[in-house]
Amino acid sequence: MKNASLLRTFITIMVALGIGIIVIAFTSSEPANAIKSFFIGPFSNVYFFGNMLAASIPLMLTGLAASIAFSASAFNLGLEGQLYISALVGTYITWKFQGLSPFILIPLVLVISFFTGGVIAAFSGYLKVRRNVNELISSLLISYTLMYMGDFFLEGPFKDPLAGLAASPYFDSTFMFSKILPPSDLHTGIFIAIGIIIIVYFVMKKSIVGFEITLTGRNKIFSKYAGIPVSRVTVVAMLMSGGFAGLAGIIDIYGIHGRMIRGYSAGYGWNGIAVALIARNHPLLVIPAAIFFAYLESGANVASLFSDITPEIARIIQAAVFYLITAEGLLSFIKARKEAVSNG
Amino acid sequence: MDDFMHTTITMMTPILLAALGGLFTELSGMLNIGLEGMMLSSAFLSVYVASISNNLLIGIAAGLGLSIILALIMAYLSLNLKANVFIVGLATNLFASGLTVFLLYTLCNSKGTVFFPKAPKLDMIEIPVIHNIPILGKIISGYNILDYLAIVLVFVCFYIIFKTPYGYHLRAVGKDSQTAVSVGISVYKHRMIAFVVSGLFAGLGGASLSLPLQTFVGGMTNGRGWIALVAVVLGRGNPIGVLGASIVFGIASALSNTLQASTDISPKLLLTVPFLVTLAVMIIYSTKRSNEDA
Repeated sequence: MKNASLLRTFITIMVALGIGIIVIAFTSSEPANAIKSFFIGPFSNVYFFGNMLAASIPLMLTGLAASIAFSASAFNLGLEGQLYISALVGTYITWKFQGLSPFILIPLVLVISFFTGGVIAAFSGYLKVRRNVNELISSLLISYTLMYMGDFFLEGPFKDPLAGLAASPYFDSTFMFSKILPPSDLHTGIFIAIGIIIIVYFVMKKSIVGFEITLTGRNKIFSKYAGIPVSRVTVVAMLMSGGFAGLAGIIDIYGIHGRMIRGYSAGYGWNGIAVALIARNHPLLVIPAAIFFAYLESGANVASLFSDITPEIARIIQAAVFYLITAEGLLSFIKARKEAVSNG
Repeated sequence: MDDFMHTTITMMTPILLAALGGLFTELSGMLNIGLEGMMLSSAFLSVYVASISNNLLIGIAAGLGLSIILALIMAYLSLNLKANVFIVGLATNLFASGLTVFLLYTLCNSKGTVFFPKAPKLDMIEIPVIHNIPILGKIISGYNILDYLAIVLVFVCFYIIFKTPYGYHLRAVGKDSQTAVSVGISVYKHRMIAFVVSGLFAGLGGASLSLPLQTFVGGMTNGRGWIALVAVVLGRGNPIGVLGASIVFGIASALSNTLQASTDISPKLLLTVPFLVTLAVMIIYSTKRSNEDA
């Protein structure tokens, strides 16, 4: 069973990459060059490699966020908005109180951002358990609202008048996480992300909360009979999910941007869902899955620099992953094909 | 006021069309969250093909074709390969957003807004006699063919769902698929058809977004597929109910538009109105339902 799902993941990734190659081959005037840049580009120098790892940091946390909700069999489709508004709140507080010591303010802001995203997601969880509102739809609708509200602040009240784009003012650079592989963007936030993932792994594996979440996700009715407060567990899982999305947002700001920029996080939430699916909700596997997704993104970016393709190709490959990753019939389909070929 | 009513109907059309499509998959027992992506892909292809062929019908047919292909992919993966229907729906949305930007870039060398002046305009139909009645004339007359088609299709769907054997079977599949199987109704076949119908309607919805403006903007569906999904849930399996919900969301969108034109409230804040109204309606409705259950 475990091998089967591993094989399915492998096939999904191969098919998705194959689709990427086909799309590039059809659209690029120099496909060999484009494909080479796509696959090798992220490893070609320290700068691209570091940037790829930097790009994986928010995906680790959104991947974790999605997987916790999935574990409780809840769909949190509002990751994008939860992340965005939490980053905005965190940036604002940092900017407002930048006279304080980073050692006091940064941990405080991380907690605030966690609960900003967490409470928003928990609200969808609450609506699900108390009012029977589909959390998949409510979290998404709230997310749309939050994205627009965030844009509103960045275009108006919280806009840096000197910035050429819709962005907040920079906060003091002493608040920025240190860089690991200069000149790339890779920053020490990666240790925070990995640390959180390890903690969550143990929480899910060893603690009562983790056990309750997993059991609720496996079988709600059984859990109810076993005396697990299913409603509360769902809300808590959503709270954690939104909280990690919030952390993903603010850590990216502290690590790379130093200010809030309109639309800076587009795709972090959706890719997080894909990361969780590839990792099959296993917290530790979220790390390689996030790096893989960052690799796709970076490969497309590098290839668009050195050839004539557009980076949106990454989205098509990612969609292919989404399409196939849960397809349980994929293996038997391939087996049937093989038999048909060998028989015919 | 009559202008406002007019905007309401115009804003309602894409939502209503997509929601009618979503109704079929809902009745077959599946929540189709790929509506957004199907709409978006058709919004692009219909206006693009209408422009290069200089023919509206060919344009619409192309848009519907692409939307139905996306529906078939969804159906195949979820029904044949047993993939999770929500995840496959997300895949559809993600794929459509990538595909449209990619095609826009490859075919039109742009990533933002593209105006297609060569695409034939959708004519406003002025109904004789009624058009000249004050107020009422403006509310009932002067829409494009897709706006009228959407209303007609509500009743066509009503007829199909409640008066034809196909409709009975479809509802049986959604209510209790095992019983349906035991009386010889094919769950697979009805779900497959439901997906194709949802692709058809969502495609029409997408075309009704881009064609009247002769314009495509990246991501122009902007959540309408999701709002349509809520209209499906609120419609309780009845096209008339879906129409009612769509009217409410049309009003919310019209309100957002009208306020943007007439006040200096930030447009970004006003854009949240349709989503907040949709959410509020969903919450109010759900409370009511749990009361009824109790």
